Amino acid sequence: MTNAAAPDLRQRRKKINGQKVLLIVTFSVIPLFLLALFTYVPFFRMIRFSFYNMSYTKNKGFVGLDNYVKIFTREEYVSAMLLSLYYMAGAAIQLSLALFFATLLTSGLKGSGLFKGIMFFPFLVNGIAIGYMFKFFFTRGFVLDTVLQSLGISLESLPYWLRDQSVNNWSLVFTSVWKYCGQNMVLFVGAIASIDPTLYEAATIDGANKWQQFKAIILPGIKTVFMLNLILSITGSLSAFEPAYVVGSMGANGTATFFIKIHQMAHVHNKVGMACAMAMVLMILILVFTVAQRLFFRYVMKDSENTFNGKANRAKALW
Amino acid sequence: MKKILSLVLALCLTLGMASFAAAEEALPTFDQLVYGENADITASILFAYHRTDIPEKLNGYVDEFRKTYPNVTIEYDLITDYAENALNRVKTADWTIMGIPAVDKDELSGFFVPLGATDVLSEKYAFMDAWNFDGVTYGMPSTGNAQGIVYNKAVFAKAGVTEIPKTPDEFIAALKAIKANTDAIPLYTNYAANWTMGAWDAYIGGSATGDANYMNNVLLHKANPFSDNGDGTGPYAVYKILYDAVKEGLIEEDYTTTDWEGCKGMINNGQIGCMVLGSWAFTQMRDAGEHGDDIGYMSFPITVNGKQYASAGADYSFGVNVKATYEQKLASLYYIKFLTEQSGFAYSEGGLPIDKTGEYPALYEAFNGIEFVADAPAAEGEEALFNELNAESELAINAGGNTKIQKIIEHAFNGDKEFDDIMAEWNEAWTAAQEALNVEIR
Repeated sequence: MTNAAAPDLRQRRKKINGQKVLLIVTFSVIPLFLLALFTYVPFFRMIRFSFYNMSYTKNKGFVGLDNYVKIFTREEYVSAMLLSLYYMAGAAIQLSLALFFATLLTSGLKGSGLFKGIMFFPFLVNGIAIGYMFKFFFTRGFVLDTVLQSLGISLESLPYWLRDQSVNNWSLVFTSVWKYCGQNMVLFVGAIASIDPTLYEAATIDGANKWQQFKAIILPGIKTVFMLNLILSITGSLSAFEPAYVVGSMGANGTATFFIKIHQMAHVHNKVGMACAMAMVLMILILVFTVAQRLFFRYVMKDSENTFNGKANRAKALW
Repeated sequence: MKKILSLVLALCLTLGMASFAAAEEALPTFDQLVYGENADITASILFAYHRTDIPEKLNGYVDEFRKTYPNVTIEYDLITDYAENALNRVKTADWTIMGIPAVDKDELSGFFVPLGATDVLSEKYAFMDAWNFDGVTYGMPSTGNAQGIVYNKAVFAKAGVTEIPKTPDEFIAALKAIKANTDAIPLYTNYAANWTMGAWDAYIGGSATGDANYMNNVLLHKANPFSDNGDGTGPYAVYKILYDAVKEGLIEEDYTTTDWEGCKGMINNGQIGCMVLGSWAFTQMRDAGEHGDDIGYMSFPITVNGKQYASAGADYSFGVNVKATYEQKLASLYYIKFLTEQSGFAYSEGGLPIDKTGEYPALYEAFNGIEFVADAPAAEGEEALFNELNAESELAINAGGNTKIQKIIEHAFNGDKEFDDIMAEWNEAWTAAQEALNVEIR
């Protein structure tokens, strides 16, 4: 009886395993196929295109590294890349603001749910809509000027937010901060909420004040999410597009970021090969920044983690 | 059994294809086509086009057309960002008729159905050179545009400008008078809308030189075409008007936040003096408010040897997808025939007639004594050269090079670059492109 049942069971298990594999394969075939079709195939073709002089409709021949050489020898592209520095500065402000609000909202504030909702809302609005909104926001004598005037600042002393080249990139950065701050904040709130609350109690008993708690408990506790947010905002800064395209009239008046230059190269000048090379440069740049950040945190911030764990252990031991 | 079945299936398919291929007759050329024939033809047509502002009018034409061809359905796909979008789509089968985007002329036959021999069609229709390659025309213009300036007559009168300016100096003087005597913005640039800036390129050919060959031939082979001619003509004079107007403070104060839809109402009610736009803009400005009678159209203020000229050319031309089915192609041709000869589209849009028997709309009353110059096509073998020079130099003249015109405004306003230096840069870029493509300088 048992002898007869054993192979039967084994066979059934085999069958079930086979079905499992079949199921996994059939379920993943479509997404994998789509991923390959729409991500990897275009990506590898883009690499190939970047070595050619070609338009959308015509291939004018292999040019080797010419496209890449042009990118780094033409001053306008280098200065377009430097525009990212504005957005990176914006990213730093954005992260600090997000962290500040996240800490505030997790400290048992009344109505924190409502505030979270309000602050997260801009992220849900379509980027193009935000662009048009801010165009009116920055127009002379419109929203921003009116608000500032009601604070007693005269219109004459205000700059033209988009026309004056000394401020216009900051105006665009502001729209980007406005949009993404809430998203960062929500991620921070989630991370902070997952910190073991006993740590705060221990720290309070130890006599740590709120700032010390923030520094020694919250900051190390949300390190992973902080890294994620930082990488997202830095890569976002490198490939900034929406604000400059919509609010800045497609990168007019010195607001053309590298991404906008790529767009113009491909769609105005019809130089697809060159645009692909620029996209490759942008991608490599983003990779470099991401790796650099990871290395920075692995080696430079390692000490702080040790001190954190050490402190926490000591706190627990004392407790 | 299965083998036999698949064999039968394959056979059926081949036969089906063969019979389908047999049904493909040669299409009639556009001049042979008689509107009203083949009224029982069945086809569905997707029409990609840029006129997002007049969907009702276009659908009205479809209804009218379907009275004669009831089995043809036509759906318009109206696209705001047309020039780029169409260029991406032109290779696909995802459209039946489209306004031809900026493709190279030697590629036309790969995308569009030939309409007939250019010299034959030219007897009956205007601007047949627009999409001519090797003596064959691939596009039928929707309407013709003349290049001039749309202006508010009441504002000019109030400013004391009684005669239409004929030279750059007179024009700048008129703008100054508007600034001094009225509250209107003398010249509205529409900087923020981008494409309205590229529109300035359309004036450097016929309007600025009186030479029909300038745009597609002379420019390509000229050494330093952006240099000063010294007599207020040529491309230099055109762009100089813009630079000077900005420098003298004769444009809108905050040019980075201009509003294209808003400007129509503003010129209509006298808040704007004039705008440099093709004649297609006239009807839009006229219909944008209650003071339509105030809107006028004048030629560009450049006089060549005592005579004024106005560049004229085709607006977007209709092309039929070469990948469409025979029925779709035929039905499309009938619809284009209808649009060209029956609909009155060109006239109602304030355009120059395409059908040579058509009328000129009233807006050209101020063009008395002004000669229309239609840009002659590029010389044989050089049909694609202009596009290539444009790409190589990245000036994109008359092909979406909006950024370079915006930069004129920025430099003039910020005072950080002289006009001559800008033109010298353009010359340099153009010369480099000519050298890269081995263009002979004449």
